[in-house]
Amino acid sequence: MAIVNTNKTPDRAAPISETSMLGWLRRNMFSSVFNTLLTLSMAYIIYLSVKGILVWGLFDATFVADNRRECYDNSLTGACWAGVIDWLDNIFYGRYPRDEIWRINAGGLLLVLWMLPMWLPRVRGKVLIGATVVVFYPFLAGYMFSGGEMGLFIQIMASGAIASFVIIVANALVGLTKDVGLDTFVLEALGKTKAPDKTQRNLLIVLAVALFVVANLWVSTWALEGVSWTKWGGLFLTLVISGIGIASSLPGGILLALGRRSELPVVRVLSTGFIEVFRSVPLITVLFMATTMFPLFMPEGFVLNKLTQVIIAVILFNACYMAEIVRAGLQAIPKGQFEGAHTIGLGYWGTMGLIVMPQALKHMIPNIVGNLIGLLKDTTLVSIIGLFDLLGMLRSISKDVPWLGLHKEPLIFGAFLFFIICFSMSKYSRHLEVKLSAGEKH
Amino acid sequence: MSDAQTNGQLASAASSEVMIDVNKMNKWYGSFHVLKDIDLVVHKGERFVICGPSGSGKSTLIRCINALEDHQEGDIIVDGIKLGKNLKNLDHIRTEVGMVFQNFNLFPHLTILENLTLGPIWVRKMPKAEAIEAAMMYLERVKIPEQADKYPGQMSGGQQQRVAIARSLCMNPKIMLFDEPTSALDPEMIKEVLDVMVELAETGMTMVVVTHEMGFAKTIADEVIFMDEGDIVERNNPTAFFDHPEHERTQKFLSQIL
Repeated sequence: MAIVNTNKTPDRAAPISETSMLGWLRRNMFSSVFNTLLTLSMAYIIYLSVKGILVWGLFDATFVADNRRECYDNSLTGACWAGVIDWLDNIFYGRYPRDEIWRINAGGLLLVLWMLPMWLPRVRGKVLIGATVVVFYPFLAGYMFSGGEMGLFIQIMASGAIASFVIIVANALVGLTKDVGLDTFVLEALGKTKAPDKTQRNLLIVLAVALFVVANLWVSTWALEGVSWTKWGGLFLTLVISGIGIASSLPGGILLALGRRSELPVVRVLSTGFIEVFRSVPLITVLFMATTMFPLFMPEGFVLNKLTQVIIAVILFNACYMAEIVRAGLQAIPKGQFEGAHTIGLGYWGTMGLIVMPQALKHMIPNIVGNLIGLLKDTTLVSIIGLFDLLGMLRSISKDVPWLGLHKEPLIFGAFLFFIICFSMSKYSRHLEVKLSAGEKH
Repeated sequence: MSDAQTNGQLASAASSEVMIDVNKMNKWYGSFHVLKDIDLVVHKGERFVICGPSGSGKSTLIRCINALEDHQEGDIIVDGIKLGKNLKNLDHIRTEVGMVFQNFNLFPHLTILENLTLGPIWVRKMPKAEAIEAAMMYLERVKIPEQADKYPGQMSGGQQQRVAIARSLCMNPKIMLFDEPTSALDPEMIKEVLDVMVELAETGMTMVVVTHEMGFAKTIADEVIFMDEGDIVERNNPTAFFDHPEHERTQKFLSQIL
């Protein structure tokens, strides 16, 4: 038997059970008597709970009231959201002076506008965006939030921030409209595209410096009213602590992980010791140690405020966890990659920065983001040592005289806020994974 | 098929300038003596083929020449520079010595073009446009310019190995080392890689090749070295080596492999 079929068999449509909704339901929900019973009883339970939540949280709830008594008068079976709404400013901004809240909003908006170009297509120089935001933004934001006397260092950093922000935004606009980088655009506008590389570079440097000087003149006229950190609170404080923690713990973790794998014994032993000590202690202990013992080690007269101490503790603690995640990622990179990098003459930092880290970080994304979500939620522990972060604020609603004993609603609202933030982070990490593994098949 | 392969032996391009000088070199892995009193001189333009059973130390030898492994006794002098613990020397040697691995070791997160231009841009500090131009030239030479924007994972093994050869050539090395470049490939891909290597040999490149491809060795080698258990057992020109192997161990090895 040689040739079995000389004619090509034509394709036929798939059976209805494979393609229709009904087929799917039948296969997955009602495939046997037991499964049918299970499906129906689950559907009933879901119906009951959704109905309960909607009635309590929405239909019977009170949204406008002056105190808890009025809520009860309105409805005994519904939620009293009026308390949460009344405290909304406190929940978001803590006890920050109401007239100065625009500074927090402006700082947040600045960050969003600064980072946004990173996700836009056709925009050049995304590494520069990330680098400037990490180097300059914290100082500008720090001054905007706390105000008061501006030291020379802060003035320089804030001017640098303004100058680089202008450059980033201009670069993004030029990229979106003309599909070129800002440098090419400026050189073209000045008709210097044919000039030697060195002239071009010097010209760009002069322009950047001029921009910096202008920014500096403007910044030196700023006089923002001082706001003590003790007035910071709510979601704002949570985001400040976790934002700084997130931005610093990853670089810190990378350095610690490299240190732990170093061939220099002193570096290796110090990194390992540091990681093991901080990982073996609960965060709350580290926080207490930071606020009570840290000052003992500091030279006399050198006082860090409690917030700074807490932030340092959060960074150190999370950097150690991050270090172990990074180390695991590094170990997954085959030895051949190091050798391949060596044979084209890359040194240690070139090998790590260009070859090993980009591959390792990609594998680590789920773990890193998991850890960052943990970090964000762990910042609620600072309410135990007397900072009024989001959780602290929510809990103090129940101690406010008009809303005495109102526990449930604020906590549910807090859970909702945390869920939105953490779920977005998790979704974004999933998106990053897919995006980074596009085109790469192993 | 290139002329060289059809006509047999490729003319020698060797000159008197010494590129690699290995002198009484010994290496141990822990207490295991891998390489024993190795003496080897490679002149500019010379093409050495090293063969031998697995575990004979042939890969280790060329990895020592590229300073991927360190040695404990004796000297290795590459391009006039003595290998040692001096890191600056190492980086210099590695830019002058290209190496092609059995498993390609391409960078999977970079496109082919980025794989090729990484070294020239970051190590040689070459302007990007120039590096891309050079990379495309080498991709032409290994006959896959149309794959420049693909990722290594999207290519066949033979193509990946040709990219790996092009990546080394982009650094403009004085010496090329090949560590069993065809051992991980399917039979039909071996030829495309060997063809590229033969063409490279025709340009007068100094090459040290660890391989079991005896036809290839006959075509390009100025000298064939047979290693066993850390010793250089026999060395000869390819005709004599393959037709009249002198040592009993060489005879046994060749009878198994041919």
